[in-house]
Amino acid sequence: MSARSSIRNNSPRIEAVRPAKDVRRAIDWGSLAPIRIRARVVAEGVYAGSHRSARKGAGVEFGGHRAYTPGDDLRHLDVRSLLRHDHLLVRQFETETDRALRLVVDASASMGYRGSRAPGSKLAWAALVAAALARVAIKSGDPIGMSFIGGSKDARPVPVRGGREVFERVVDALEAQSAEGEAGSSIAMLDAAIGSIARSARRGSVVVVLSDLLDLPPQAAARIGAISTRGCVVVVVQTLDPDEADFPFKETVRLKSLEGGVTVETDEAARERYLAALAAEQAAWRQALVSRGAKLLTMTTDRDPVAAVRAIVEAAL
Amino acid sequence: MSFLTILALGVAVLVAAPYLAHRLRRKRADEVPFAPARLVPEAPPKARRRARLEDRSLFAIRAAAIVALALLGASPLVRCSRLALSRGGASVAVAIVIDDSMSMRAKDSGDTTRFERAKKGAEEILASLREGDAAAIVLAGAPARVGLAATTDVSAARAALEGVGESDRATDLDGALAIARTLVGELPQIDRRVIVLSDLADGKSDGPALGSNGDSSVPIWVAMPELAKANDAVDCGILSADRAGGRARVRFACSVPHAATGREVQIKDGEKVLASAALPQTALGEVMIPLTGDDTRELFAVLTGTDAIASDDRALVVVESGPAALAVVGDRTDDAVSTGGAPVVEQALAALHVDMAVRPIPQAPDRREDTAAFAAMLIDDPPGFTPEQRHALAAFVDRGGVLVLALGRRAAAAPLGATFEPFLAHAPSFGPTPTQSVDPESGAPVLGDGATSLDDLTAKGRATVAPDDVAAFESLLKWSDGAPLVLRRARGRGEVWLTTLSFSVDASDMPLRPGFLSLLDAIVAAAKERSAPLRGDVGVPWAFAGARQVEAEGPRGRVPSARGDGALRIVPTLIGPYRLTVDGTPELRVAAPMQRELDLRPRAVVSEATSSSLGGGVSVVDVSWTIALALLALVAAETVVRAMTRPRGETA
Repeated sequence: MSARSSIRNNSPRIEAVRPAKDVRRAIDWGSLAPIRIRARVVAEGVYAGSHRSARKGAGVEFGGHRAYTPGDDLRHLDVRSLLRHDHLLVRQFETETDRALRLVVDASASMGYRGSRAPGSKLAWAALVAAALARVAIKSGDPIGMSFIGGSKDARPVPVRGGREVFERVVDALEAQSAEGEAGSSIAMLDAAIGSIARSARRGSVVVVLSDLLDLPPQAAARIGAISTRGCVVVVVQTLDPDEADFPFKETVRLKSLEGGVTVETDEAARERYLAALAAEQAAWRQALVSRGAKLLTMTTDRDPVAAVRAIVEAAL
Repeated sequence: MSFLTILALGVAVLVAAPYLAHRLRRKRADEVPFAPARLVPEAPPKARRRARLEDRSLFAIRAAAIVALALLGASPLVRCSRLALSRGGASVAVAIVIDDSMSMRAKDSGDTTRFERAKKGAEEILASLREGDAAAIVLAGAPARVGLAATTDVSAARAALEGVGESDRATDLDGALAIARTLVGELPQIDRRVIVLSDLADGKSDGPALGSNGDSSVPIWVAMPELAKANDAVDCGILSADRAGGRARVRFACSVPHAATGREVQIKDGEKVLASAALPQTALGEVMIPLTGDDTRELFAVLTGTDAIASDDRALVVVESGPAALAVVGDRTDDAVSTGGAPVVEQALAALHVDMAVRPIPQAPDRREDTAAFAAMLIDDPPGFTPEQRHALAAFVDRGGVLVLALGRRAAAAPLGATFEPFLAHAPSFGPTPTQSVDPESGAPVLGDGATSLDDLTAKGRATVAPDDVAAFESLLKWSDGAPLVLRRARGRGEVWLTTLSFSVDASDMPLRPGFLSLLDAIVAAAKERSAPLRGDVGVPWAFAGARQVEAEGPRGRVPSARGDGALRIVPTLIGPYRLTVDGTPELRVAAPMQRELDLRPRAVVSEATSSSLGGGVSVVDVSWTIALALLALVAAETVVRAMTRPRGETA
């Protein structure tokens, strides 16, 4: 059965807006659960495929030891520790720039969409990628912070912290999240998520925005791109469902947006025009971001999370 | 048709609803969540898509379902009325009497004849039979006959019924009922019935009611009384049309006198009308029409106008001559009654109202051609025959004539050279009779009850036939001492009858007894049967004793011959001319209708014979259940089709 034909037989699923006490079931995790384990697996895959440390540059202040990772600069190998403890340890130095990972996850209502071919909802996939990125960052000793665009009011953002426990906090926050709210209705929702980043992120911080970019306010591209001008590495990952990427509908359907209350009756004849409109919007985002030094990645949720995280890491280098 | 029925049928109008829905509805699409919906352009409505039938199979099923629903609601209307037996649980034996007489040709309404309706009724009755039931078919056209002996093979009964056709016979309901009762009377089924499918017009409208004198163990059911109730049909028919002496004599009969009003009889040569005359307003009449021209032309008498039965409105005009005459040979001086008048034989024949001319001749003919005009020759106390006479009489008998020799005193005193050869090898003798009475039982088969009247004949003597000659004859009536009184012998296609008493009242009282009339009647019947009359009653077989091959071409093609009672027989079932070839000799005969068949008045029927307890004249076969099943099947099919074509849910 082709991908398109499967669309006919499987209705898209969308996470319902549920009370906060039931948020753990709010996200359609699909085959991406459990995120805690899956994120570690993804992160391990990223390590295995990567031969370079996520951390680069030399500092002037000693920052402790960590286990040697293939690819580390041998100049930082602590020979004394090797002789004393028979362990390969690398001496760490705090760089001058802040390499903190700031994750911005779009948890608005549109992120709850899951097509027939997707392993989970867009929010689930984004959460998995975010957790995996957090795991990678923790492995590298980078502090992590996370905020949400929209989402459940009960889900709190994760302040920037270092250490292993922050991964648990990130995962807890992601698991407590649900797809709610209309991000496009007000710029305030976006500002709440990236405002602190724009104000406090140090140079060298890596800002990863995981969003479908579909219902953000018009100023969103400029606001997000502006972070890049502050010396941060901004990687915007447009997270789309496979159905959103190729418009597989063959018969007449009434499409109802998840935000904004738009309902459109259309058929397969609209596919080309839709794809053109989507491409134009992506081009606009890319133009707005690239012009400010940010990067835009477009991924669909049927993509392998390992490859996705690796691509994001590479884009952040 | 009730209001509810009309209302239910009105539901069928809704068959247009799914059509309009399929034609006009715009396909309401499924609503699907789709985040970038604002990027999707709205598809413009397509008129073509709006107009087309989107699911033809679904539409057809829905339309059929609505029609089935309407029919189900109106099921009282669409019930099929059929004849069926009212029955319990036991097997039934039925004898179906189908009237195939001429009156059943009448069309009471429409183009369907009574016979066709009766035949359809018989088919419905056969269809209602179950396994173990027995059926027999009896045909009521005269003479009544068995169409199919009782059988439990319903398919054989259907096949036999299929072969039954219309005829112009008279009606013999009584005979048919007797046969029917005989056929089913001995069957093991407890429930036995005789089913009559007839218009009951058997010419006995004033007779006893049908079923009043029958066996109550085999009740009669007149299954289609409507055939008899439709008595508004009138008919006139030509009984005979003869030509003699430059004029045509047409005898006709009408069911009612006013049926002849405005009608006339025409004498036609092909399509050319030679002469015509108006029919007198009478139920039975005769029209004389003068004719001129060549007598060899084949003329037809035709009744103008139309009536219930068309087949009897046309008849061949035959020359009044030929063998349909009886010759009485006797010495009129001796045979004359003392009070004057014709000899007693002639008077007896006149009393019998035989449809044959009686011609007295002084002596037996001695030329063959002189015998050609006669069907029978009654020779009273002949003193032997001359060789020429013997030769002529032998030829007469061989060609089918009936020769009756009443042997008396003179027969035993034949002059030299005069003998009775080749009919008798020895000369008969004459002497006193030891007894004056006859054995009635010996004559019952031929004379019936008339034989009992031949008692104390006061005969002054009787002839005695040599034993060798007696052995060559069949004894039809015997004296009480066993000596033959009436003898019969077949010869060629004819017969030779002998009586050992002469027909003279001076010789005995036999000519004065009713038994004598019975004897003459039997002789005349034999003469009619064996001779070649130009005209005979339809349905009465023509026998060709001694003939080796007979071919007949009837009004509707070839008529088969069958051998029975030692002679080839042909049964004329239709009115009209029959062109025969008897052993290579061409012959023309005419089958004429019987007068009683033109009386279309139905015979009365006992009320029990039309009781609904015997059968369902109004029985119905309810087809509602079949419609309901069809409706259920359509609903199931509609569900399946929807499931196959609308997996996301039907929105229409």
